[in-house]
Amino acid sequence: MADQLLPVLPVKYGSLRVGGMTFEQSPLAETVSLGAFSGDGRDALVNRIHEAFGVMLPEHPRAVHTMDGRCAFLWNGPSQWLAIAEDGAGLLSRLREVCEDVCALTSQSDSRAILKLSGPDSREAASRLVPIDLHPRAFGKDHVASTLAGHIPVIMWQTDDVPTYLFLVFRSLAASLFHDFSVVLNGFSSSEMDTCV
Amino acid sequence: MRLTCPFCGSRGLEEFTYRGDASVRRPAADASEQAWVDYVYLRDNPCGRHQELWYHGAGCRSWLVVTRDTRTHEIFDVRNARDVAVAERQTEAGKGENS
Repeated sequence: MADQLLPVLPVKYGSLRVGGMTFEQSPLAETVSLGAFSGDGRDALVNRIHEAFGVMLPEHPRAVHTMDGRCAFLWNGPSQWLAIAEDGAGLLSRLREVCEDVCALTSQSDSRAILKLSGPDSREAASRLVPIDLHPRAFGKDHVASTLAGHIPVIMWQTDDVPTYLFLVFRSLAASLFHDFSVVLNGFSSSEMDTCV
Repeated sequence: MRLTCPFCGSRGLEEFTYRGDASVRRPAADASEQAWVDYVYLRDNPCGRHQELWYHGAGCRSWLVVTRDTRTHEIFDVRNARDVAVAERQTEAGKGENS
């Protein structure tokens, strides 16, 4: 008899709380990549998504949310996007109905884990791993960047002004990224936050 | 050295991979053996401005054509390689119509 495979969380630790900041795994999400076919595929895809979801796919590294807040589309390279919805939302089948003939749809749900960093000093903490400018004038709410956190490729997404950052990371590297952030947060705590030296 | 990706903005070198001279062009299938040897093996080693291909692997995965000074690392221009190729094809098509 075949083994039954059950989903295992990519990071075995719970959440990490240091100096008012929290680093934790986000609930599993349904993720689908959209790659527009060449020729008229891009315009057709933008129109179809606009008709079906009521949002314009972003031209720049940004995220847009549908009106009901259940689904977000992230820029993920020229003519490429990532659609994200909560697990079990049936996102892939919906997208197949809407735009299967004008773009390549690939489920990425099992490919990436989502780690969340939140709390008042998140910007300073994230800046220690990520080489891009996170100052509010350069990187704000719903800005998205594909970059490196340490040596780990991530898609970084700021979801509010606290700030809260989501890191979409390859599932097999999620534990390493979690470890890197635990070092960053603990270092942060002992060097700058703790007053009892 | 930093490169300004036309899609992602200014990024550090660690996100990119260098992939050689961007000015070489594939010869016609019936071109001379010498033309193919040139295309496959021979590269200039210019002192000064150089057009080169870079791959933004840790970012948007775009191929870029970068004009760089090989002595100072000054960057003059960064363009999407796809746009460069499309513009070139259109120019060639335009020439074909005129002749």
